[in-house]
Amino acid sequence: MCYYVYEWNVDEVIFVHEAVTTNPITITLINMTVVFGVLILLSLMIRLIHFIDPTKPKKVEHEVSKPAAPVAETVKPTVADGINEETVAVIMAAIAAYGSGYRVHAIRPAVSTKWRDSGRIMMSDM
Amino acid sequence: MEIINAFAVSLQAVWMNSGFSAFTAGNAAMILVGFVLLYFAFVKEYEPLLLSPIAFGCILANFPNTGFFDEMGVMKAINFGIQYEIFPPLIFLGVGAMTDFGPLLANPSTILLGAAAQIGVFAALVGAMCLGFTAKQAGAIGIIGGADGPTAIYLSVQMAPELLGAIAVAAYSYMSLVPLIQPPVMKLLTTQKERATVMEQLRPVTKFERIIFPIICTIVIGLLLPPIAALLGMLMLGNLFRESGVTDRLSDTAQNSLCNIVTIFLALGTGMTMSAEKFLTIQTIEIICLGLFAFIMGTAGGVIFGKLMYWASGHKINPLIGSAGVSAVPMAARVSQVVGLKANPRNYLLMHAMGPNVAGVIGTAVAAGTMLAMLN
Repeated sequence: MCYYVYEWNVDEVIFVHEAVTTNPITITLINMTVVFGVLILLSLMIRLIHFIDPTKPKKVEHEVSKPAAPVAETVKPTVADGINEETVAVIMAAIAAYGSGYRVHAIRPAVSTKWRDSGRIMMSDM
Repeated sequence: MEIINAFAVSLQAVWMNSGFSAFTAGNAAMILVGFVLLYFAFVKEYEPLLLSPIAFGCILANFPNTGFFDEMGVMKAINFGIQYEIFPPLIFLGVGAMTDFGPLLANPSTILLGAAAQIGVFAALVGAMCLGFTAKQAGAIGIIGGADGPTAIYLSVQMAPELLGAIAVAAYSYMSLVPLIQPPVMKLLTTQKERATVMEQLRPVTKFERIIFPIICTIVIGLLLPPIAALLGMLMLGNLFRESGVTDRLSDTAQNSLCNIVTIFLALGTGMTMSAEKFLTIQTIEIICLGLFAFIMGTAGGVIFGKLMYWASGHKINPLIGSAGVSAVPMAARVSQVVGLKANPRNYLLMHAMGPNVAGVIGTAVAAGTMLAMLN
C-alpha cells in the first residue's frame, strides 16, 4: 500500500514521504528487482562501451591456406640473444612438422606469468 | 583543621570528577570487549587496520565524565564526520583508486553475480523484521550482508544511528572472517566437477573502456539513485584518478595517505559509539547473529546463481566466483581462488572472481540506495 502524509506548518508545507511498505517480503522483492535491473543496465552499458570503443584492436584474419611467398622462405627469423643454433633448429623443425603455410618470424624467450602459463596449458589441452 | 577540611573537599571533588565515581559494570564489560577486539586485531590479525582503532575507540567511549561530545574537540569533530556521512564517501574515494574494474569490463555477465549475492542483505532484513526490528533498523542490519564497511556505516547513520556501533563491529568482524565463513558454504553447494572448472582467459580491456565506464556508471546510478550519488560518485572519481594515467599523484594520495587518515577517524569514531548503554543489549547479540546469517545467505545466493550461469554458459563459468559477489574486496575473490585451486591445481580464478567482487561493491551501494529511497 502506498500512502503519503502531509503535515502543515505555520510557514511551510512539509512533505513527508512515509515508508512505501513494511512487508519484508515485498521490500526484498522490490529491492532485488531494482538491484538486478540496475546491474543489468550497467552490464549493457559495458557492452555498449566495448562496441563503440574506437581504440579496440581489430581482429586479424589468419591466412592459413595461403602459401608463403618464396621470398619469405629465405628470410631468417629474428633470434633473441642467448638462444643457440641447436634450439633454433629444433623449433624450426617442430614448426615445419605442422606442414607448409607456417613461417617463423622471431624466436624469443617467453615471459612467464601464471596467467600465461595457465593459458598455454589450456591451449595444449585443446 | 581548616587545611584538613580543604584537603577532604578537594579529594572529594577529584573523586567526583574522576571516571571511577561513575564507572559501571557495563563500562568494565565494554572495556573487556575492547581488549578482545585488540587481541583479534594484533594477535589474530583480523582486519587490524580497522579493528584496532575501533577497539581503542570502544575503550575510550567507556570512560565516564570525559565529556567528549559536550563541547567541540577532536572527538566531537570525528563524530561529526560520521554523523554527517563525511567519512564513508572519502573512504570510497580511496577504494575507487585501489579498484581495478578490468575483470568486470572484460566479462560483464559476471556483474549479475554481484547482484545475486545481495540476497544476503534482504534475507537478514526479513530475519531482523521477524525479530521485531523496525523496517529502517532491519535495512541497516541487512546491509552487513553486503560486506562493505563504509556502505554499512553510511546506511546505519541515516536509518538506525542507535545501532551504528553493533552494525559496524559485526560488518568488519565478519569481513575479516570471510575465509572461515565462505568455504564450507561454497563446498556444500557445488560439486567437485563444478569447482574444478577452468575459465577462459579474460580479454584485454582498453584504456577507453576503463575511463568511460566510471563516468557512465556515475551518471546512470547518480540519476537513478541520488541518495547514494555521493558514495558512488567518490568511488568512481577515485577510479578515474587511477585509470586516467595523468593523475598519479591524486590516485596515490587517495589510495594511501587520505584513505589511511580517514580510516583512522572512521574506525575510531565507530568505536566511540560503543558505549555500554548503547552496546550491551539483546539487540547487539541479535545483530551479530543476523550479520552471520546475512554473510552465509549472500555467499549461498552468489554460488547458486553461479551454478545457474555454469549451466547456462555450457560449463564455462566456475560457480565458485559467485561467492565473491559479497564485496569484501579482495578477500572474497581470494577465497574463490583458494577453493578453486584446491579442486584443481591449474585453476586460477582470482581475476575472474574480481569481476563479481567489484560488482558486489556497486550492488551493495545500489541496495543501500534503494532502501534509503524506500524506507527512509
